[in-house]
Amino acid sequence: MSSVLQSLSDALAAAVETASPGIVRVDGRRRLPGTGIVWSSDGVIVTAHHIVERNENINIGLEGDVIAPAKVVGRDPNTDLAVLKVEASTTPPVWADGSDGSELKVGHLVLAVGRPGTTVQATLGVVSKISEPQTERQPRRMRAERRGYGHGRRRWFYSIEGEMYGSVGPVIQTDVVMYPGFSGGPLIDAGGGVRGLNTSALSRGSSVTIPTARVREVIDALLAHGKVRRGYLGIGAQPVRLPTALAEQLEQEIGLMIVSIETGSPAEKGGLLLGDIVVGLDDYSVQTIDELLMLLNSERVGKSTSVRAVRGGQLIDISVTIGERE
Amino acid sequence: MNPIIQQLYDDLADVALSVRQSLLQITNGRGGVGAGTIWHPDGLIVTNAHVISGHGELRVILPTGDSYRAQILAQEPNLDLAALSIPAANLPVIEPGDSRALKAGQWVMALGHPLGVLNSVTGGVVIGMGQQLGDIQFRNGVDWLAVNLRLRPGHSGGPLVDAQGRLIGVNTIMNGPEVGVAIPVHVVKAFLKQHLGTQQKQAV
Repeated sequence: MSSVLQSLSDALAAAVETASPGIVRVDGRRRLPGTGIVWSSDGVIVTAHHIVERNENINIGLEGDVIAPAKVVGRDPNTDLAVLKVEASTTPPVWADGSDGSELKVGHLVLAVGRPGTTVQATLGVVSKISEPQTERQPRRMRAERRGYGHGRRRWFYSIEGEMYGSVGPVIQTDVVMYPGFSGGPLIDAGGGVRGLNTSALSRGSSVTIPTARVREVIDALLAHGKVRRGYLGIGAQPVRLPTALAEQLEQEIGLMIVSIETGSPAEKGGLLLGDIVVGLDDYSVQTIDELLMLLNSERVGKSTSVRAVRGGQLIDISVTIGERE
Repeated sequence: MNPIIQQLYDDLADVALSVRQSLLQITNGRGGVGAGTIWHPDGLIVTNAHVISGHGELRVILPTGDSYRAQILAQEPNLDLAALSIPAANLPVIEPGDSRALKAGQWVMALGHPLGVLNSVTGGVVIGMGQQLGDIQFRNGVDWLAVNLRLRPGHSGGPLVDAQGRLIGVNTIMNGPEVGVAIPVHVVKAFLKQHLGTQQKQAV
């Protein structure tokens, strides 16, 4: 009886068991502990930044209820990732990024796994969307940076100098309900491969999964520098509609009008002026704050970058050496 | 249709149909309906203690539509378990599974009458099992079984079964809006053994 259903059930439980040795408890806050994932066998552990509320006295609960103290290697609040290190030999799970052709698709069955207690816990769902979390994240994070500018509701602009959350990149969205303590744990596929890291801190009211490829980039940066370097331009900007002729020429309708420039900033040194409308960076189109932040990544820090802008109705290219945001 | 998916559909329907034979309605005169599970062919029924709390006449309705007045054999509010008896014989029972061997991620189905919708079936997976599960607040010294099912009033006392339709728990309560909590069948067995010791031995 029930051969296929039983096989499916066995396969799901086996997927959890496969990943289980690489899933650890992270005790770094006063409330319920969160979850972490073993990155490598020399004790590197990746978890969610927001569950590691302190920098000392962090304990990791490994499989078999072994408890080991951990140090913080680095944090990236932007992607809500933190890297920890324990002095213990660890068993990493299978990290899967789809590069072997097994791409994760909308509709696939996935499990979220957590270890808020001594044993692993799991729950099931399907992939609902693989996308950028802009619409969910922008209002929440950006509103804190919104600055009053006159009285009209439309007359506000975003500051680019604050703590920005605009460059997470694509995330995996699922219908999986992440339970308390699941943040920092993996989203696994039905074969037990880790497809990403779950966090509840990046979008309001739901959890998203940061894909493995992005997790790897952040970990590499954190292991190398202790932080993820972000580019700094030093402008405040507001999205504006472009004149029709320019919009047709550029094939984009929106640009970012500069409404403030920090003294001594790369933008000022490079010669950007108030009122310039930024439409591109190094041949990439820029229409939203998030797009600009995505382009101001670690590779551009210290590099001369061509900023394309509209000034007096004319397109101009201005060379700016991108700084590093502190 | 893909033959594997067709087989999966058939399997799900088979489990639902077979388990429904042992799913009961329990009313206590307060309005609303709880669920119960046939434990023994001679009329031994297991449900939650909170399903039978009240002063009205306790009635059990079989899937066949037959209705019986039920007698309380034992109840323990601390465990939220109760054993009832009805004067019937040759009732269909659900084979008990091994709830101690449950694994996180395995498939489960809950049957009951959520919000009065009779004989409903819902499916999901085991989140975990143990005395202390994350932030689960119940502390009574026995194991709890957490599932990713939204149990509703009317699910209480109904069966929770595995992929082969074996009884692994009794649907009991929610912990927060998303986590369904059941009493694992090994806890039910211990309860019956303690309260109905000799009767149970004779019956089995």
